[in-house]
Amino acid sequence: MTAEAAEKLPEFFDLDGEFARSNVQEVLDKLDRELVGLAPVKQRIREIAALLLVDKARRTLGLETEPPTLHMSFTGNPGTGKTTVALRMAEILKNLGYIRQGHMVSVTRDDLVGQYIGHTAPKTREVIKKAMGGVLFIDEAYYLYKPENERDYGQEAIEILLQVMENNRDDLVVILAGYANRMEIFFQSNPGFRSRIAHHIDFPDYSEGELLNIAKLMVEKQQYKLTSEAEKVLKDYIPRRMRQPHFANARSVRNAIDRAKLRQANRLFGSKNRTKLTKADLTTIEAEDLLQSRVFNAVNPDK
Amino acid sequence: MAKPDMGKAKELTGADRYKAGVLEYKVMGYWQPDYVPKETDVIALFRITPQPGVAADEAAAAVAGESSTATWTVVWTDRLTAADLYRAKAFRVDPVPNSPDQFFAYIAYDMDLFEPDSIANLTASIIGNVFGFKAVKALRLEDMRIPVAYLKTFQGPPTGVMVERERLDKFGRPLLGATTKPKLGLSGRNYGRVVYEALKGGLDFTKDDENINSQPFMHWRDRFLYCMEAVNRAAAATSEVKGHYLNVTAGTCEQMIERAEFAKELGSVIIMIDLVLGYSAIQTISKWARKNDMILHLHRAGNSTYSRQKNHGMNFRVICKWMRMAGVDHIHAGTVVGKLEGDPLMVKGFYDTLLQPHTDIAPELGLFFKQDWASLGKVMPVASGGIHLGQMHQLLHYLGEDVVLQFGGGTIGHPDGIQAGAEANRVALESMVQARNEGVDYLAKGPEILAKAAKSCKPLQHGLDTWKNISFNYESTDTPDFTPQVTPAR
Amino acid sequence: MHENPRNMTQGQFSFLPPLTDDQIKAQIAYAIKKGFALSVEYTDDPHPRNTYWEMWCQPMFDTKDPAAVMLEVNECRKTWGANHYIKVQAFDNSRWRESVAMSFIVNRPKHEPGLALARTEGPGRTMQYRVHSYATDKPRGERYK
Repeated sequence: MTAEAAEKLPEFFDLDGEFARSNVQEVLDKLDRELVGLAPVKQRIREIAALLLVDKARRTLGLETEPPTLHMSFTGNPGTGKTTVALRMAEILKNLGYIRQGHMVSVTRDDLVGQYIGHTAPKTREVIKKAMGGVLFIDEAYYLYKPENERDYGQEAIEILLQVMENNRDDLVVILAGYANRMEIFFQSNPGFRSRIAHHIDFPDYSEGELLNIAKLMVEKQQYKLTSEAEKVLKDYIPRRMRQPHFANARSVRNAIDRAKLRQANRLFGSKNRTKLTKADLTTIEAEDLLQSRVFNAVNPDK
Repeated sequence: MAKPDMGKAKELTGADRYKAGVLEYKVMGYWQPDYVPKETDVIALFRITPQPGVAADEAAAAVAGESSTATWTVVWTDRLTAADLYRAKAFRVDPVPNSPDQFFAYIAYDMDLFEPDSIANLTASIIGNVFGFKAVKALRLEDMRIPVAYLKTFQGPPTGVMVERERLDKFGRPLLGATTKPKLGLSGRNYGRVVYEALKGGLDFTKDDENINSQPFMHWRDRFLYCMEAVNRAAAATSEVKGHYLNVTAGTCEQMIERAEFAKELGSVIIMIDLVLGYSAIQTISKWARKNDMILHLHRAGNSTYSRQKNHGMNFRVICKWMRMAGVDHIHAGTVVGKLEGDPLMVKGFYDTLLQPHTDIAPELGLFFKQDWASLGKVMPVASGGIHLGQMHQLLHYLGEDVVLQFGGGTIGHPDGIQAGAEANRVALESMVQARNEGVDYLAKGPEILAKAAKSCKPLQHGLDTWKNISFNYESTDTPDFTPQVTPAR
Repeated sequence: MHENPRNMTQGQFSFLPPLTDDQIKAQIAYAIKKGFALSVEYTDDPHPRNTYWEMWCQPMFDTKDPAAVMLEVNECRKTWGANHYIKVQAFDNSRWRESVAMSFIVNRPKHEPGLALARTEGPGRTMQYRVHSYATDKPRGERYK
C-alpha cells in the first residue's frame, strides 16, 4: 500500500453502525420467527455474520485479509430447516456485500447431470450461470458422486463445480446439503469439496417439545384452532410419528396438519348443520381429526 | 389586443347562409366551439396574430376558411356539395402566454380534404393561400395531429433507425459523421481524399454539403467515383461498413434518379437530398430508396427561411412530421450546443417527433397533440453545425444514442490532420458511452472523462486543447411558450 | 502523418484500450439492468458484412449477474481466443427496437492481417470493389498461423 493510500484510510470502524446499516438483525429476527428452536444453527449463523463484518472492518482499516471462503455444507435430516436457513444466509451475504444479487438457486443432481455425453457440462454451466451473484444450494449433494458407475456423468459436474468454487469465489456461494453420514462419505471420496468449504453447519433433529411448538405455530398461521382435546392427541401423536419410518421433522408435522385439515373438511361435509357453518366450525380441529391417523393404528398402518 | 370571443356564433342555415354577398367567416360555419374532432380528422394548430380589431374567433374562422373551402364571398355552388363536411372547423382558441397580441387556434379538417400519400396536397391546403391572407398580420403553423388512418397511406422512412443500424452493424452508440469542407471548390480527387481520411480515421459517415450537386469545379459523376473509392478503401482498412452521403439533388427528378441509380451501381449504402427539392421529389426518391435498399439522408436546406421566426411561418417540428411521413431516414434536427438555432426543449420535441412510436401532449416541448405514429419507421436525427468533441458529454446527454453526430470542422480542422480528427472524435464518443454505461455521472464529469481518455490518445488531447473554449451561447429565437411550473421555495 | 492504429474497429469500444475484465463486467451489468439478453459470438473472419458470427452458447435471457456472462466469455477465450475475434452482444426485445442494442469486442486474435481491397474496372471509369479477408484464404482452423 502506498503511503498516500494509507493516509486516506479511516481511523475508526463503527461496527454497531455497520451492523445496523446491513439490516442483518432483521434477517436474524425473521429466521427466529420462521424457525422454532435450532439454537446451535442460529448461533453459527450469527458467528458467521460477525466474522464477515469484522473482515469488512479489517479491510476498511487497511489490514491484511484474505478474501473469505464462503462455501458451506448444511448437514442434517430432512425437515430440519436447511433450505430456509440457506435462503436467509443468501440475504445476509447480500446485505454484507459478499454476494451481489442475493438470490438462491436450489438444485439436485438431475438439474446438473445429463443423460449422455456432452450433456452435462452445458447443463451444469446453465445452473451456475443462473446462480451467479447468489447462492447455489445443492440438496442431497452426495448423489453427484456414484462410485459404482465408472462412467457416471456426475464426475463431470463435480469438476466444473470445483473449478467455479475456486475461480469465482467473489461471484457465487455454494451450499451443499444432505444427511450427515452420507455427506461425510461424500467428502471423504471428494476431498476437493471439503477443502473448499469453510463452514460446516449441523442441523440437529427437533425435540418433541419443539415439534409441538412448530405444529401449533403452523395451525395458528393458517387460522385454525386445536381443541384442548386435540392438543392432547397431537402431543401423543408426535413421539409416535418420530418412531415411524420416513420421519422428516418439521415436514412430517406439516403433513400431519395438512391431513388433519383434510379430515376436518370431510367431517364438516358429513355434519348435520352443514348448511349453517359458523366461523368456529371452520377453524376448529377436533381430536377425531387427528386420531384417525395411521400412527394410532399400529395394526394397519395404511389406513 | 385580440380577445378570444368564445361565444357561439349565430350560425346561418339554408337560403340565408347562401345569399349572395360577404359574410363573417364565423357565421359561415368555420367557427364551431362545440365541435369534437373525429379520430380521423387532421388537426392543425396555428399561432395567429390578427390585424387590429379582428376578434380571435373570427380570425381563427378565417384561417379555417381560407385553408379549406372558403373564398371571399358566398358562392351558391357550395350547395351542390356536402359543404358542412369539407369546411374546416376552428374549435378552440387559447391565449399565448406572454404574447397578448397572439393566440393559438385549433382547426380540424376532415380527412377527405386530402389526397392519400401526398405531402404536396396536404400542404397545399394547410400552408397554401392562407399565409398571405390580409386579415392576419402573421400566421405560424405550430403543430399538427395526423390521424392514424391518413398516416397509414404513407410509406414512411425507407429504412428506419433499427434496419439502418443492422445494415451498418453499428449498435449502442451514436453514429459519427462529417461534412466535407470546404463546401465548394474541391476537385473530385481532392474531395475523395477528405472522405478517405475521415472514414479511415474512425467516422462512420461523411457527407456532401447541401449545395454540392454538379458544378463546374466538380461534376457529380466524378465526385461519386472518387468518394466510393475512398469509402471502399476505408472499409477495407477498418473492417467496418462505411458510407458517404452522395447528394443526388438535381434540377429535375429524372436527373436525380439517374444520380441515385449510379450511386447504387457503385455500391453506396446511402444517398442524400436537400429539402429544397420539394415534397413531390422527396416522396419520389423515398420510394426509390425503399425499392433499392438505400438509406436516405435529408439536409434541411432552406427550412430556416420559414421556421425560425416565432410569429410567422411554420415550426420545424411540422417539417419533422411531414418528413417522417414522406419518408426520409436522416434529418438534421438541431444540436442544442452548436452554432445553429435550437433551444434544448424544442430540440427534444423534434427528436421525439422523429424517434418515438407515440408522443403525448407536452407543451414545454412544443408538442400540442397526442400523436400515434402508426408503425411508421423512426427517422435518425442528425446533429451538425459547430459541435466539437469537447461537448461530447452534453451531446450524449441531450441527444441520446440514436443520432448522427457530425463534426465537420471538428474533424477536418484538427491540428494533426483529418485521420487524427476522426480518431479523436471516436475516442471521445466511445469513452463517454463507456462511462455512461458504467453508471458514471457523465454529464457532470464529462471534461474529466475526456481528459482521462486523452491520456492514451494524443489526437484527443490536441483536439481538446484546440477547441476547449468554443461555445455558441446565443439566445434562441424559437423557444417554447410553456415552461414547466416551478413553485418557489418558501 | 497520424494513422488510425487498428485495422478492425467494429463494435462500440474498439478505439479504446482493450477492455479489462472488470470493464467488460461493467458493460454487461448495464445490459442486464436494461433487461437485454446477452450472447457471446466468435469468428476468424472480420469482413464487415460477415453478419453471422458463430454463437458460443445460447443467448442468456435470464441472467442476473455479469459473472455468468463472464464465465462464457472466458470459456470461449480458452477455446478460440488465440486466433479469433470474440464479441459480446446485447439484444433488446422491446417493441420498436427488437434488435441488437450493444456490441463490443472482448478478444482479438494475436495476429490481425485485416482485409484486402480488390478492384475490377468497368466501363465509364466505374469500379466494382471486393473486400476480402486475408484470413479466409485458408480453411477454418488453419488461419492466423
